[in-house]
Amino acid sequence: MPWVAAALLSAAAGAQIPPAVADDEFTARQRSHWAWHALRDDAPPPGAPNPVDAFVHARLAAAGLSPSPPAPPHVALRRLWFDLVGLPPPPATVQQFLADPSDAAWHREVEALLASPQFGERQARHWLDLVRYAETLGHEFDFAIPNAWRYRDYVIRALNADVPYDQFVREHIAGDLLPTPRRDADGNDESVQATAAWWFAEQTHSPLDAARHEADRVDNQVDVLGKAVLGLTIACARCHDHKFDAIRAVDYFALFGFVKSSRYVQAPLHPLDVHGAPFTAALAAQRAFAAAVRDAADGPGWHRSDDDALDALPPPRAGDVVIASVDHPRSHWFHTNDGFGPAPWSGPFAPDAEAGAPQLFVLPGRFWNSAVAGPQREGTLATPTFRIEHRWLHVRAAGYRSRIKVVVDGFHLVRDPIYGRLHHDVDDSNAHWRTFDLEPWLGRTAFVQCIDQRAHDLADPRRERREYPAKAWLAVQSVVASPHHEPPPAAECLPLPPPGWQQPPDSVREAASALAAAWEALPVSATLPAMADGTGVDAHVHVRGDPHRHGAAAPRRFLQALGGGDELPAAAPGSGRLQLAEALLRRGEPLVARVLVNRAWHHLFGRGLVRSVDNLGALGDAPTHPELLDWLARDAIAHGWSQKHVLRRLVTSATYRQDSRTRADAADADPANLLLHRQNVRRLTAEAVRDALLGISGRLDATLYGLSIELPQATHIEARGQPHQNGPVDGNGRRSIYLAVRRNFLPPMLQAFDLPTPFATVGARNVSNVPAQVLALANDAFVHGECARWAKSLPPGDDDARLLAAYERAFARAPTADERAHCRALLADGGEHAWPDLLHALVVTTEFQYLR
Amino acid sequence: MTRTDPLPPTRRDFLARTSRGLAALPFASLALGADRGALLRHHAPRARAVIFLYMDGGPSCQDLFDHKPRLIAENGKPFGLPKEPTQFRDEGNTLGPCATFQQHGSSGQWISDLLPHLATQADRLCVVRSMRADFSEHTNANYFLHTGHGLQGRPSLGAWVGHGLGCDTTQLPAFVVLNGGLVPPGGIDNFHSGFLPAHVQGSVFQMRGDAVANITPREADPARQRRKQTLVQALDALQVERGDDPALAAARSNHELAFRMQAAVPELVGLAGESPTLQQLYGLEDEYEPTRIFGRQCLLARRLVERGVRFVELTCPNTGHDRWDQHSNLRDGLRDNCRAVDRPIAALLADLAARGLLDETIVLWGGEFGRTPFSQGSSGRDHNPFGFTMWLAGGGFRAGHSHGATDDYGYKAVVDPVTIHDLHATILWQLGIDHERFTFRFGGRDLRLTDVYGTVQKSLLA
Repeated sequence: MPWVAAALLSAAAGAQIPPAVADDEFTARQRSHWAWHALRDDAPPPGAPNPVDAFVHARLAAAGLSPSPPAPPHVALRRLWFDLVGLPPPPATVQQFLADPSDAAWHREVEALLASPQFGERQARHWLDLVRYAETLGHEFDFAIPNAWRYRDYVIRALNADVPYDQFVREHIAGDLLPTPRRDADGNDESVQATAAWWFAEQTHSPLDAARHEADRVDNQVDVLGKAVLGLTIACARCHDHKFDAIRAVDYFALFGFVKSSRYVQAPLHPLDVHGAPFTAALAAQRAFAAAVRDAADGPGWHRSDDDALDALPPPRAGDVVIASVDHPRSHWFHTNDGFGPAPWSGPFAPDAEAGAPQLFVLPGRFWNSAVAGPQREGTLATPTFRIEHRWLHVRAAGYRSRIKVVVDGFHLVRDPIYGRLHHDVDDSNAHWRTFDLEPWLGRTAFVQCIDQRAHDLADPRRERREYPAKAWLAVQSVVASPHHEPPPAAECLPLPPPGWQQPPDSVREAASALAAAWEALPVSATLPAMADGTGVDAHVHVRGDPHRHGAAAPRRFLQALGGGDELPAAAPGSGRLQLAEALLRRGEPLVARVLVNRAWHHLFGRGLVRSVDNLGALGDAPTHPELLDWLARDAIAHGWSQKHVLRRLVTSATYRQDSRTRADAADADPANLLLHRQNVRRLTAEAVRDALLGISGRLDATLYGLSIELPQATHIEARGQPHQNGPVDGNGRRSIYLAVRRNFLPPMLQAFDLPTPFATVGARNVSNVPAQVLALANDAFVHGECARWAKSLPPGDDDARLLAAYERAFARAPTADERAHCRALLADGGEHAWPDLLHALVVTTEFQYLR
Repeated sequence: MTRTDPLPPTRRDFLARTSRGLAALPFASLALGADRGALLRHHAPRARAVIFLYMDGGPSCQDLFDHKPRLIAENGKPFGLPKEPTQFRDEGNTLGPCATFQQHGSSGQWISDLLPHLATQADRLCVVRSMRADFSEHTNANYFLHTGHGLQGRPSLGAWVGHGLGCDTTQLPAFVVLNGGLVPPGGIDNFHSGFLPAHVQGSVFQMRGDAVANITPREADPARQRRKQTLVQALDALQVERGDDPALAAARSNHELAFRMQAAVPELVGLAGESPTLQQLYGLEDEYEPTRIFGRQCLLARRLVERGVRFVELTCPNTGHDRWDQHSNLRDGLRDNCRAVDRPIAALLADLAARGLLDETIVLWGGEFGRTPFSQGSSGRDHNPFGFTMWLAGGGFRAGHSHGATDDYGYKAVVDPVTIHDLHATILWQLGIDHERFTFRFGGRDLRLTDVYGTVQKSLLA
């Protein structure tokens, strides 16, 4: 087969390392492109009192243009409401503001909106676009990402609390590693929740090549970090040095190492402090319970559990390699949530403590045992990362509703086909060796993850379930890699319950009650997907992006072009993400700040000062107002990275408040309005269209947070992973940000209005103009329902009064005489449906969908 | 060439279509679909439309087109070549075809007895027997087949074509997906516009219920919707007096397109004008429901192309065998799937040819990959992206032609292999587009349907 040989030859020839960007070229790129430079420090030009206006007006004046006059009050008010809170202004606000549209009233309105809880709901959606927020993994079966929705709530809270943006970014990169995490009033750890954003990457079910899957996933993770926070297309350097920017492949793989050294876990919102008083008391109660059992039981087996000989692990056989065991110090293992307690446990224990019939177990020897931390606590215990050199892996464990899995090349979705053999479900209170056959993955790197609540495993197939059974526990003694199929010898299990044990004596029952009470005092904690540190490992450059062809080592560090040359010490424990966060915020500060203010500008004006909001690199657009961009960036930093401050700056400017009407005098000088001689006309976002309908109909339920709402699923199709639940047409009146984000089943109406598919950072949504939008507004059951509801909510009175009420709700203004005339014409021959029909027509007009 | 902004809308009557008039027309005049953008033209096109018969799940080519005597001879014996890893890792022995093969037509194309109707059209087919794909998993392979990239988020072939060529009708979108009932793994993102403007995404027409989401007015009395429309237009016109804006003007014309579409779709899907004989030919009277569904899809495909829709994709009806994904029970699955699509496809080819539409319409048949020549379990075949068959007809592809070959077992493409990127490049070429110059700027890169790959396969072309 000559062709095959030729193909192999050409493949080999093509596999040489692509030519690198030479140092002088690299430096030239860095020097010549504005985005790599420090922030400029230009004073606002004289003239306008507001610095934003001063910069804009100076440019206009240079082009011989003047700014537009202020927009009519109702236009400005509607614009402000949708921009800050994503909802139409209520009639009372409209009346008040139209009666007094003064500057002072405008400032009062701005402050009220910035302080309202709906502010976070609107602004969070912008951020969710950047981190491709989704609640499922996509691909074939669209598996759930357990508890992903909690992240959405985290973002809303953070924005409402105006968490400084640098802290917000720090939490996203390394919220799990902060020495003093941010906590809410209940003591919940806020910071860790941000790290869920790493895990919204699409994941493949049963990829043939886990290493390639890892490379694709990390590519997406680095891509999102680079675009969302820095406005850089770092992931372009995956297969070769960046074609245009001062980013080399080794920069990309330096960042790859941080992700590769980190792991997926379900992290607690409320971490357990194993040294704190409540847990110490619980541990003491567990010990007291064990003592009570020993005292009460006559059987000889009970005291053997204190036998030192039993506690000693059997010596390893020739060839056995102990990856991790109870003999290793606690720090050798990776604990999440401290659910496995401060130290291995030996002796009797109860995984739950119902006083009437406490379940009682004893294991042969010492085990890391999640039962000692109480049934409500979830925890994860994991080994260091190791290279698979032996075919067999033996893990000695007991437990209930728990799981042990081998995570090869960072691949968590271990299911059949292909990967099913990489996990063992543990549902046996006797300790057994669980044996894994790793033959297909010899030579790959892996770690063993022990999860005491398997319903929370990423690979759990039950995509409908939202709440999980509490009573799960897992005890693990030793993880042994071995050339032997047979597991190592181990002590026999002890008989349980003790002979003759029927009804526990009072002393045991009392101890069980005390134990239950002690557990009750422990903080209950929900979990969400998060990052956790694993073994620190550096990546190698993948030659031409091929994860199986390793080039130069790429020690973990920040981008070279931003001075991130100092590598982490080789012996640094963990991933080093905290150091990455600090380096990014310190050395990348100009980019981080520019990206932040530019995004705000984009959302308020329809186009960023840099149009390509996710790419400030060489292929991105140049800033239209570079001095203003940098002034705003400095201003944001100077004001403690307050996002509310940035928005306040912009919406109080005359530039924001000006009229949007096209002007003949500017047609030649500024045809695309790059100089902002007027405000831009903008279409409402998908969420705002739906929320506005709920708002005007009176259906809006202002409840904050919580489980996502399902909408009705399309009928007549059969697709894998399609949810079986159907929701109400109006989504219970909840705002659109609370609708379930199932990657493969996004709400069709929101999609028609350009809700993006969550696969990559989308800082600037498409604004399309397609028939599906009109058809949805004209014929969708939801729209009809809300218009009917709205008609019922109109105040009693004559047609004029009702028309006024309708117009105030829909457009924040009174109808003109012409409009009244047209509306009356419909009312005149509309019959019983006249009012719903009229309101429906208002919804279909362009005025409803657009901000002028 | 990079384009980001569609041209302003233009009203235009249907293009009068004749069998041969197309290439002679100045191409720019074809662009005047609703607001569907200008026509991209790198060279004179050979075809103006595409019908993609998408065989979701990976049809077993060794049982349909890829005739391998050795596979028959060694049925049940250990497989004679090294095996690549498979998805289910349950590999058995060599598995012979579950049907017999014959040569058909003057071209002598090998087609199995599972496709007796298609066999009558053998001389129209350009059979590519050496396809290769990059992925063994359905979803990746589906995205790859549709978008040239294995992950979610890229524009589908139909969206690229719609973006490049616009649409010849003011009443329908450029890219229509006729959904037989099954949505392939990966979901509707297989038909998505990705980073291209949203109006070029596949508009999904259903075969049951309403053909298009929200196409049916809810008002029992049509006069009510008319009154609403009148009011909307009047109110919008008053707004114009207060100062217009290009975005608002575009919204108003989109509004009109939507209502034209609302009027056009019932006529389109009504089939009233199609003769009973023709409907029978398509299988609309067949006793097997999936045949009736797919027959309707094929007939609608012709009607859409006739009306100027640029790209029509058909997905399969559910025959109860999990698509063409026969990991087990190969014989029954193939029998029923073939029964569903065989008659309708043959009728579509004959009908297009009779109307002179086949010359200007590319018909593409195939799945995301093929299947292994060795068994999975006792009665199935696993996924095989290394060698499989797709075929094309019309649109200037060589009729009655066989291209390339797999090895003696039908396992891997070994003679003149054709990649998915090659296939995309060649289809674009026939539409007048040079795939290397057809780019869109997104996220800092000029992206192509064919990434950095793909070669136009001139030997497939007449």
